[in-house]
Amino acid sequence: MMIRTTELSKSFHGVEVLRSIDLGVAAREIVVLLGPSGSGKSTLLRCLNGLEELSGGSLEVNGVRVDADMPSRRKRSSFREIRRNAGMVFQQFNLYPHKTALGNVIESLLTVKKLGRAEAEGIGERLLERVGLADKKDQYPSRLSGGQQQRVAIARALAMEPSVMLFDEPTSALDPELVGEVLEVMRQLAREGMTMVVVTHEMKFARQVANRIVFMDGGVVVEEREPEDFFRDPRSERARKFLNQLSDH
Amino acid sequence: MSLVWDNGLFLLKGAYYTLLITVISMIFGLLIGIVVALARLKGNLPIRWLARAYVSVIRGTPAYVQILIVYFGLVDYGITLGPITAACVALSINVGAYLSETFRGAILAIPKGQTEAAYATGMTSWQTLRRIVFPQAARVAIAPMGNTFIGMLKETALVSVITVTELVRSAQLLIAQYFVNMPFYLGIAAIYWVMSTGFSAILHAIEKRLSKAY
Repeated sequence: MMIRTTELSKSFHGVEVLRSIDLGVAAREIVVLLGPSGSGKSTLLRCLNGLEELSGGSLEVNGVRVDADMPSRRKRSSFREIRRNAGMVFQQFNLYPHKTALGNVIESLLTVKKLGRAEAEGIGERLLERVGLADKKDQYPSRLSGGQQQRVAIARALAMEPSVMLFDEPTSALDPELVGEVLEVMRQLAREGMTMVVVTHEMKFARQVANRIVFMDGGVVVEEREPEDFFRDPRSERARKFLNQLSDH
Repeated sequence: MSLVWDNGLFLLKGAYYTLLITVISMIFGLLIGIVVALARLKGNLPIRWLARAYVSVIRGTPAYVQILIVYFGLVDYGITLGPITAACVALSINVGAYLSETFRGAILAIPKGQTEAAYATGMTSWQTLRRIVFPQAARVAIAPMGNTFIGMLKETALVSVITVTELVRSAQLLIAQYFVNMPFYLGIAAIYWVMSTGFSAILHAIEKRLSKAY
């Protein structure tokens, strides 16, 4: 298992947002988290690399284990190890505005992997080429479209050669006509065998690319199915309602 | 007016001390400002409390009084500082308090997503501060920081009371010698204006450089 959570729970100021989540993701598997807003799917994703602190339970990513009741110093260093192996892509891109596209991609190579600049730039240029932005390497994020920014952000996350990629609503902040280019890069990653956990509202992508749908509501996993089964015949009332609301538009 | 020209060298020497005190206090004030801003943002409770108390006391008392305390007051405890040293110590401590507030605000103005993105690639919190947060915060801080610096350049006039022969005291000495006031006062006013305009130009150039990505 690439990722395994055991009775993972999370509360914000006494409100339980995640309740005893047991989730497993195998290597090379693509899992899409679906659910209404506030269902806890983004929080779950952010718990996996420690951007949210766990309130209970434990998780293991690529062999590194974190328990909620570990001393905080050990938790911090374990999460740092996890983060080196888990790339993350954010809804708002979060590119560094003071660095060029290439500068964004190679930042972690310089600071975390401590590579020399020449070597890092070589890797960075290849990654930008992979997301189709080789010619934009010297542009600052403010000069790039949303879709281009998100592709740079994906290249940045890939720079550490992660064994798993976490996507937190990667296309939700994009203009509709720019969604396709980002999804195409994600499809490419999927074809190359990357392990992916994706929070998204792109149902077509979920249906075509995911190996498994995890449907969440109210901080619990309600249903876990293969995409075809889930979309054709959702078992739970809540999933049925969720899918109906989507098709209403 | 020719009196001013004849004594130009003497006045320039005063300007030199004004500039010297300004630059030294700027450098140490900057260091104090950064350390105190970090203490307030990242320190534990007693450290945060101490930093807050420092800012509150310094901002709540006149710079004039602070200069008197450092130069005359400390003598009672056997600490005797030279006038220029005392001036630099007092002004560094003074400007550090104002700058710490500027820096704290600038650091808080950087979106949380920036820190999260850096953490997500495995960077430590110190690496994130140094490589991601500080460069962006510097751009936010530079304009208010410039105001503080130019304010301080003018505040150095206060240290004439502790016998530092900076611009104001140079003028006063010349006035005592020649028994005319206006030309010397106008002369140093002009020199202050030239220096603060120069500072503004330098800061503006830095701001432009830091903003080239935006």
